Amino acid sequence: MLAWNQKSFLIVDDFSDFRSSVRSMLRELGVKEVDTADTGEQALKMCSQKRYDFILHDFNLGDGKKNGQQVLEDLMTDKLISHESVFVMVTAENSQAMVMSALEWEPDAYLTKPFNRASLAQRLEKIVQRKNLLKPILQALDCGKPAEVLAACVNLTKQDPRFAPLCLRYKADALRDLNQHEPLEAFLKSILADRPQPWAFAALGKLLFKRGRNAEAQTVYEEAIRTFNTMPVLFDGLADVLMASGDNRRAQKMLEEAVRLSPYAVRRQRLLGKLALENQDFDGASKAYRQAVSQGQFSRFKDPETNLGLAQALISRGGERGLDARTRVEINQTLSEVAKEHTNDAGLQVRARLMKATSVASSDPEMAAKLTEQAMARLEGMEQFLSADAALAVASQLKQLGQEAAGAGVLKSCAEIYGDDPTVMQSIAKQTDDPEILSAGKAAVDLNMQGIRSYRAGKLGEAQDMFRQALALQPKNISIALNMAQSLLHMGVQNLDTASLQECQNSLKMVGKMPDTDPRYDRYQKLRLRAFGE
Amino acid sequence: MTDQQPGLDFSMVIASTVHDMKNSLASLIQAHGQWIRQLPEAQRGTPEQGVIDYEFAHLNGMLVQLLGLYKLGVNQLPLRPDYHELDDFIEAQLALHQEVLDSRGIAARFEVDDFGLLGFFDRELVGSVISNVVINAIRYARGEVLIKAGQIGEQLVITVNDDGPGFPEHMIEQQSDYVLGINQSSGSTGLGLYFAANIARQHQRQGVHGHIEIANGGELGGGLFSIYLP
Repeated sequence: MLAWNQKSFLIVDDFSDFRSSVRSMLRELGVKEVDTADTGEQALKMCSQKRYDFILHDFNLGDGKKNGQQVLEDLMTDKLISHESVFVMVTAENSQAMVMSALEWEPDAYLTKPFNRASLAQRLEKIVQRKNLLKPILQALDCGKPAEVLAACVNLTKQDPRFAPLCLRYKADALRDLNQHEPLEAFLKSILADRPQPWAFAALGKLLFKRGRNAEAQTVYEEAIRTFNTMPVLFDGLADVLMASGDNRRAQKMLEEAVRLSPYAVRRQRLLGKLALENQDFDGASKAYRQAVSQGQFSRFKDPETNLGLAQALISRGGERGLDARTRVEINQTLSEVAKEHTNDAGLQVRARLMKATSVASSDPEMAAKLTEQAMARLEGMEQFLSADAALAVASQLKQLGQEAAGAGVLKSCAEIYGDDPTVMQSIAKQTDDPEILSAGKAAVDLNMQGIRSYRAGKLGEAQDMFRQALALQPKNISIALNMAQSLLHMGVQNLDTASLQECQNSLKMVGKMPDTDPRYDRYQKLRLRAFGE
Repeated sequence: MTDQQPGLDFSMVIASTVHDMKNSLASLIQAHGQWIRQLPEAQRGTPEQGVIDYEFAHLNGMLVQLLGLYKLGVNQLPLRPDYHELDDFIEAQLALHQEVLDSRGIAARFEVDDFGLLGFFDRELVGSVISNVVINAIRYARGEVLIKAGQIGEQLVITVNDDGPGFPEHMIEQQSDYVLGINQSSGSTGLGLYFAANIARQHQRQGVHGHIEIANGGELGGGLFSIYLP
């Protein structure tokens, strides 16, 4: 039996009747410490002030509020609860929370309403028993030491082979965190050959995709969906693979399916909006972005790009017909939010203004002109680089608003920064024929390629030389600057003379202006750490 | 109005209504439970209480099953198999019905072949099947219900046995019809078999599908329901 009187509980539910009913059940079990909350936000706050042994959380706390899964995600990501704590998801219906499963964080158990005291006690005691058994694994997880997790799994299985199935997922996650790709692949395949589970399919698909084996990943996901046709996470995975292979239409269909199964997912709605926009399905894009904005309100995944996406989708949907008053109000609202919440982000200020200007270009040309002027003034003094997508959108809007020269300027700087990326250059070519923009970077990009070849061949000095020449031609190019820094740091920072260290630091200072959403941002951070030793 | 005018999608209407009914029933059960706990000891455990508890459980089971059938119909029944400890699973089933068992004076027990036996199945789905079978067994049992779990070859078998009069002969003879949904005229028990068989069939391993069987006899001599999971 559990020492109930020493355990602390948090009950989260929006119905006070339910809270008091569960509270009295717990009292009857001998529990002394019971706190309650009626929203996820409140629950998070309470968990940041106090460690609870048990959290009983209702899944659905009403529209526009954080749901149980989001709260669990926040608790785990912010490390507000230990892996040893017990999180029970209370649902109104068996399947309700199921669609959330195979996500990174799963509750320790689901409990379906209504339940009685006996059921509650039985579930909790069993979970505690199991957690005691898995204690070494859970403690290693709390310390973030995947190697120890792995060792604990091995130990436990040795102790009693019957425990092996309980360790499967912990072991797979640990192998993933340790980047042991081959053992992980073999392990997942052996699980799937015997008793397939959704999470194992998802993990294998993700691994293959990460390793660039897209065709195999696609096959895995397709088989997974045939076996488990109600798991959104599998549709997400397939969509990722399809996008990477350029099949955006089918990718969109997959995400639509996932959204149908599980509509409350900010990131999924946002990605769907982006895909639909690219596929020129402006209705679909508006709908998905609108959902993402409203659900994002209370989510850690709130993102100004969603608001800008919604505005873009609505403007595109209006097309030649123009916008009705209601749409203009919606656009205004969603953009004002961005402008208000990101006063210090010059890039967002420019983009929000230009978007707004575009939306009122025909209904209120005077306002459009004013906003465009403001945007151009801020653009002028802007230090930070825009992302390639943002730059392309800004350029096209400037052109539409009659500021062709300013638009060309943005394209030119976009080509300088991202000129080594052929897809970016293709998108630029859709907007301009100006050879000065389109081929200005060619020499530098060629030099960069040669530099990479020399670097791979181990000819360090030659590589540095190529990168140096390339960077002199295109000083803002992120890839070249990173390559320059890396080829210098390759020798070890302690072996660099003052001039070389200076050169290295200078190239990194320039790239420091890249948006932190850039996929290379991580690499930049690591290089910077080595070069500046901070 | 034209002939093509689409009417209500009735199964959808039922499903969403059942969903609301289930929530409403959940509140009712919860409130009733709390109210009972406030009553003096002498006024608890009356025969009426037994009826109320039993019908609550029965209603809830039917609604869960109805929602399950709807999802099965639109091919959206989420299957999420995982490893579960059998003693835990069955204990939870019995805990769920503790009030009903108590108030009807039925002794329920369980036996698991091998302590710590793990099964691979969808806990919620198989749980709703066993729950309905247990409710049915409680209805007919005179004093005992026995749940057993064990392994036959590579398959996991969970049985529910009672000491009541057993299933009607014709039902046992025609069980394959019920399972296929051909004979649905016998009301909730027949529908229950159809649901149970479908859930069993969703579970498969290397081409082998799960199935159900009904018979009379067993240790307690009454109805004997078995679900086989590969």
